[in-house]
Amino acid sequence: MIEVKNLIKGYGGRTVVDIERLNIKAGETIGLVGNNGAGKTTFFRMLLDLIRPDGGEILSKDINVANSAQWKDYTASYLDEGFLIDYLTPEEYFTFIGSLHGLSVAHVGDYLKQYEEFFNGEILNRGKYIRDFSKGNQNKVGIAAALMQKPELLILDEPFANLDPTTQIRLKALIKNLSTTQRLTTFISSHDLNHVTDVCSRIILLEKGKIIKDFYTDENSLKELEAYFSE
Amino acid sequence: MLSTFLSHQWKSFWRSRNKAGSIAAQVVLGFFMLYFLIVAIGIGLLMETIIGKISPGANPLIIFNGFILYYFLFDLAIRVQMQELPTLSIVPYLHLNISRKTIVNFLNIKSLFSIFNILPWFIFFPFIFVSVMFKQGGLVGVAYLLSILGLIFFNNFFILYLKRKSINNVAIFGAGMLLILGLVGLDYYEIISIREFSNVIFQAVAKYPFLCLVFVALGFAIFTVNSSFLKSNLYTEELSTKDDKKASTDYPFLNSFGRVGELAALELKLILRHKRSRSSLVMGLLFLAYGFLFYKEKQLASDQFGTMLFAAIFMTGISIVTYGQFMFAWQSAHFDGLLSNKINFKDFIKAKFLLFTIGSTVITILSSFYGFMSYKLLLLHLAAYLYNIGFGTVLVLFFATNNYKRLDITQSASFNWQGVGATQWILGFPFFLVPILLYVPFGIMNKPYWGLVAIGLFGLITLLLRNYWIKLIVNRFEKQRYKIAEGFRE
Repeated sequence: MIEVKNLIKGYGGRTVVDIERLNIKAGETIGLVGNNGAGKTTFFRMLLDLIRPDGGEILSKDINVANSAQWKDYTASYLDEGFLIDYLTPEEYFTFIGSLHGLSVAHVGDYLKQYEEFFNGEILNRGKYIRDFSKGNQNKVGIAAALMQKPELLILDEPFANLDPTTQIRLKALIKNLSTTQRLTTFISSHDLNHVTDVCSRIILLEKGKIIKDFYTDENSLKELEAYFSE
Repeated sequence: MLSTFLSHQWKSFWRSRNKAGSIAAQVVLGFFMLYFLIVAIGIGLLMETIIGKISPGANPLIIFNGFILYYFLFDLAIRVQMQELPTLSIVPYLHLNISRKTIVNFLNIKSLFSIFNILPWFIFFPFIFVSVMFKQGGLVGVAYLLSILGLIFFNNFFILYLKRKSINNVAIFGAGMLLILGLVGLDYYEIISIREFSNVIFQAVAKYPFLCLVFVALGFAIFTVNSSFLKSNLYTEELSTKDDKKASTDYPFLNSFGRVGELAALELKLILRHKRSRSSLVMGLLFLAYGFLFYKEKQLASDQFGTMLFAAIFMTGISIVTYGQFMFAWQSAHFDGLLSNKINFKDFIKAKFLLFTIGSTVITILSSFYGFMSYKLLLLHLAAYLYNIGFGTVLVLFFATNNYKRLDITQSASFNWQGVGATQWILGFPFFLVPILLYVPFGIMNKPYWGLVAIGLFGLITLLLRNYWIKLIVNRFEKQRYKIAEGFRE
């Protein structure tokens, strides 16, 4: 699904991302962990062709993401509020995103019905622009809009931050469910090791842009990670 | 305590994140203020001579008296639009052990540091010192001074009170302006005379100086009302503008343009839902009056379009220039989202062209009222319009691919230098020079209409080549997008 080759990115002489080789198979749920400055978000941005790598390439379904926009057909993402058009109402935003993927207003409405539980009655028909929502609720809008695109590849940067506990649990169930039923490939970054080991089938640990550890999760994963971070 | 507050304010200004921008703005503002002050002092000192020139033989004092209330009426109208509410800066202090009285006092004192409160000193005081004090004695002079100070106080706190109480500034501003223009009209046709009224009042003050205390009392009264209102409503939620329920909107007209129309609708919402873009829209409409300055009977009669060309290009292209100069930065807050979503760059650029074309068309139709002045102006506007939608749009979008500065669109546009970079300064030259250069040879040969044809034809040809330009700009956009996105993230 995703192939990373000799990816390098630096800022002001400091290397931020330096990944020699990384292969991701379809249906995997990848947890990206690492302290601040490890290069998680920069990596995501390069994966989404928002930053030009200094060297190397990222292939999505064998096509370099920087050369063709084909990956946009099956990739959905939510990194931060910069992905939301914050002067729209959530309904307008969903309709707009839906229209990009050929969904009619009625389709979008149908789709949103599934997420009533996820929204917990706080998003739709509130008569507010997205910018007037709390950060957690903005997160919900961004994540729901990403899922609505029925992606094959989903990229979420710290999706659990700012979410209330109920929504955190619901989101985890949702991602697990989608990866088994629809073979959704997911990238998640998080500072919460519990969540990551819980949801992800594979964990990649970054330090100063380099992959230090790359393993499939089992019952010992959490301990292993905690041991690394408490050193 | 108050001095601590003021020193915090001072620091917040000097340490603000876009310091260069705000300092530049302050310097320019400073120059404006200096200019106004010099003009004001000039008016103040030369008041007697000016009055003598305008209405010879009249008693300067009577004219001066008549002018005072007028001034403060206009002052009120302008303050409604321009005076800022000092509110947000108090948020970090509200939860601390500081009495409400201190905070309210701080807000009140801070509001006094305003150009509107200083200007009258320079306009009125010289005349009062020179003429009133010498001729009518010190007591009368002091009475005048106190009256003026009272009026300044009154206006300052009255507007703050009004603004705090009400939400819709534009409506009040419009109503206030209409009221004042109405009064001026009534004065002109001698139905009701404000001048007369003002004169009667100040003659009374001259006769019984203690009457000036009425103004002082008025000022003090509104100050007290304002303070007590503040004290009992010291919640930032209630002091700032209130939110009404927001509804989703749809523009059926734009939907007929498919994907491109959707993107244009998105941007139209952006324009209407942000302070900065909204105020440039209003400015664009105000600039429709530009023609009255530039279009002169004499030049129209002799077909000298060269001098009027600038105004025509400016008016019909105002939407392209004011909105286009910051182009792509309007969307800087969600630029990453636009890039990573399934949006075709070609549609993205086409949407901008569509929006510009609609904007320019609307404003050109509005500007056609100049046709009453002379049918020739319609020809001039047509040529300018073709130039704007043909070449102007291309130029603006091409420059936009070099603009990497993030724009904060939640702030008002007047005196806002945030997000201004080299692009905005350079853009104006080619935009206004090209049509003038096109016209000049024909102007010299004394073939003005051929000059208009040349500009119009140039516009038309570039318009017909639009698909080519779109391809060119899309290519450039694809190359530049990383740099633009990076700049917008800062």
